[in-house]
Amino acid sequence: MAAEPIVQVRGVHKYFVRGDEQIDVLNDLSLDVPEGEFMALMGPSGSGKTTLLNLIAGLDQPSEGVIVVGDQIISDMNETELARWRTRHVGFVFQFYHLLPVLTAYENVELPLLLLPMSAAERRRQVYTAMELVRLTDRMSHRPGQLSGGQQQRVGIARAIVTDPTLIVADEPTGDLDSKSAEEILNLMTELSTALQKTIIMVTHDPRSAARATRILHLEKGKLVRESAVYSLHH
Amino acid sequence: MNPLVYKLEKLFYNPTAVVLMACSALALYLIFSNYKAVQFIIRSLKRNKLRTILTSLAILVLVLVVTAIWTILSKLDEITEEKSKDLKAMVTEKYGARSQMPYSYARGLADGGARKPSDVHPQDNMAWSFYIGSLEKGKFTRENFMFFFCMDPEKFPTMMDEVDTFSPTDLAILFESIKKMKADKKRIMVGKERLKLLNKRVGDRIKLFCQNYKDIDLEFEVCGTLPEGRYENSAVMNIDYLQDAIDGYARDHKGEKHPQADKALTFMFLKTEDRNSFERLAEQISTSSLFTNPAVKCDTASSGVASFLDAYRDLLWGMRWLLVPAILVTMALVISNAISISVRERRTEMAVLKVLGFSPSRILFLVLGEALFVGVLSGLISSGGLYLLINGLIGGIPFPIGWFGKFEIPLAAWWWGPAIGGGTAFAGSFFPAWSARTVKVSEVFSKIG
Repeated sequence: MAAEPIVQVRGVHKYFVRGDEQIDVLNDLSLDVPEGEFMALMGPSGSGKTTLLNLIAGLDQPSEGVIVVGDQIISDMNETELARWRTRHVGFVFQFYHLLPVLTAYENVELPLLLLPMSAAERRRQVYTAMELVRLTDRMSHRPGQLSGGQQQRVGIARAIVTDPTLIVADEPTGDLDSKSAEEILNLMTELSTALQKTIIMVTHDPRSAARATRILHLEKGKLVRESAVYSLHH
Repeated sequence: MNPLVYKLEKLFYNPTAVVLMACSALALYLIFSNYKAVQFIIRSLKRNKLRTILTSLAILVLVLVVTAIWTILSKLDEITEEKSKDLKAMVTEKYGARSQMPYSYARGLADGGARKPSDVHPQDNMAWSFYIGSLEKGKFTRENFMFFFCMDPEKFPTMMDEVDTFSPTDLAILFESIKKMKADKKRIMVGKERLKLLNKRVGDRIKLFCQNYKDIDLEFEVCGTLPEGRYENSAVMNIDYLQDAIDGYARDHKGEKHPQADKALTFMFLKTEDRNSFERLAEQISTSSLFTNPAVKCDTASSGVASFLDAYRDLLWGMRWLLVPAILVTMALVISNAISISVRERRTEMAVLKVLGFSPSRILFLVLGEALFVGVLSGLISSGGLYLLINGLIGGIPFPIGWFGKFEIPLAAWWWGPAIGGGTAFAGSFFPAWSARTVKVSEVFSKIG
C-alpha cells in the first residue's frame, strides 16, 4: 500500500483583490508530494509557483481549498498557530539568503531553535550538526557580511534544516549565485534529499537546477499543466 | 560622615528604596533569563549607533528636565499637604498684609487661648520673628546680608521641619549650639552656605545693621552652623535678644517706644495632636478676648504655605499640566520616529523572523523591547545621575521663592526616570511595533513568480 503523501493540496484557489478587480493566482490546484521527494516547481513569471510554495509552507492561506502537511490541516490554522507549526515543520531557503546581519552564522542557525523548548547544550549540538552537514564549521563566528554568497546560502540551508523539519521549501535558492556556488548548493540539496530523505519543494527558473529534482511540476496561469519525473527522464 | 553616605545608609529603612531594589532585582532576573533576546535587541540597536545615541540623549535631557520639575512640585505638594495627625497650627495677624502681632501675644498663644479646664492645649509651640541685617551700614547686598529666624533655640529640634534629615554629626552640632545660645543670647547659628558667602567662621563676632527694625543694630557671636539643605542660607538667633533690644530702645530714646514694639511677633506655631484638636484650638484662639487688637487667625502651617504660593499658582499649574505633558509627548514622538524608521528599514528582517516561526506577538515584543531598553536605561541614567549630582555635589536645586531654599532630588527619582523613559518609549513605539507585527510575509517576498 502506498504511503500517505506528506503534502496534500486539494482544490486550492488563491486570488487577490485589487480595488474592484479579482486577480486569480491559483486555480483549483490539487497535487500530492510523497515523503522524501525532491520536487521542482517551474513555470513562467506569474504562473503562481511562488504563491503555491508560500501556501504549502504556511506563509499564506488559500482563498479556497485544503492543504494538509503531515497530518495537519494547515489551511485551517490562524497566524499564530501557523508560526508555531512552521518552527517545527518547515525549513525555508530564500533566494537572497536573508540572514540577520547582526548575528553570527552560528546565531543565525540557532535562531529557530530558540523558539523550541531546548537546553543551550542541545541547541549547540543541533547547530553543530547542521553546520557540519553544510561543511561550514570553520565560519561559525563570522557575520554574514564576512561570508561569500555561497557560504551565506549554506548557512541559510543549515538554518532551514536545524530543526529537522518535515519539509524544506526553497525559493530559487541558486538565483543569486555564480555557477560554481550554485552547483555546490544543488549538490547539498541533492544530498539532503537522497541521504537524509528530506522532502524538498523548490521553485526555480533554471532547468539545470530543476534537473536535480525527482519530479518537476509545470504551472501556467495558476494551473498544473505538466508533470515529469526526472528520474524516469534520466533512467 | 558625608551627608550622601549617611542618606545612602538609610536606604534600607526606606520603603521606596526597598521596592526599587526589588524591582531592580526582578528586572535583572528577566534580563538574564531572556539574555538571547536582550542580546539581539542590543545588537539591533548597535546597527545604527548614531540614531540610538541621539535618541538616548534626547530622552536623557528630557527626563532630566521632568525630574527637576517634579522634584520642586512634589516638594511643594508635600509641604502644602494637609496632614491628619501631628498638625502644626500657624497663628498670624488676621487683616494685615504682613503679620505683625505684639510679642505679648506669645504667652497666651502658647497656651492655645485656653480658658476652661476642658479646653485644648498645644503639645508644643514656637514663636517667630524675623531679623534681616547687613554687615555694612547703608549697604545691602547678597554677599553681606543675613536672614534670621528669631526663636527660642530649644524649639529648633522639636518644631522646625526636616530636622529628621540631619546626619548624626549635624545633630550633635545643633544641640551643642543650642546649649551655647541658651548660655549667651548673643550667640547665633548660621547656615554653612551663608557663612561661606560672608567669609566668616564659627567663633567670629559680627555686627549687623538691621534692615527691618529701625536702629536695632546688634552684635553677635557665631557659635555653630546649620547643615547643607533647607537652612544653609539662614541663621537662628535668640528671640529674647531681639525683644530685649526693642524694649531697650525706649531707654535710649527718652521713653519713646520703638515704632515696631507692638509688632515684633510674626508667626506663632502650635503643635496639635490631630485635626479635631486643631479645630478646637483655632476656635479657642479666635474667640479669646486676648487676641483682638490686632485680631489673629489660625491656619494649618501647610495651608499657610499654600496661601503664600497662591501668587505662583498659575506658574506652578503651567509647569505641572502644560510643560511636563509637552515634554512627555515630545519624548514619545522622538522614540516613535526612531523606532518607525528602524521598523521600516527592517521589514524584510521581520518577515524572515515570521517565516522562521516567530509569532506576531514575539515580533511585537522584540520591537517594543528595543524602545524600552533605550527608554528605561536612558531614563535611569538621567534621573539617577541627577540624584547623585544634585544631592551629592551641588546640594539641591535652588528655588528662590520666599524662604524656600534648595530642594533635593527625592529617592523616588530613581524610579521616575525609568518609568518616564519606559512609559514614553512604550507609547511611542507601540504603533511601529504593531506595524512590525502585521508585516505580511507573502507581500514582503512577493515577486512575479
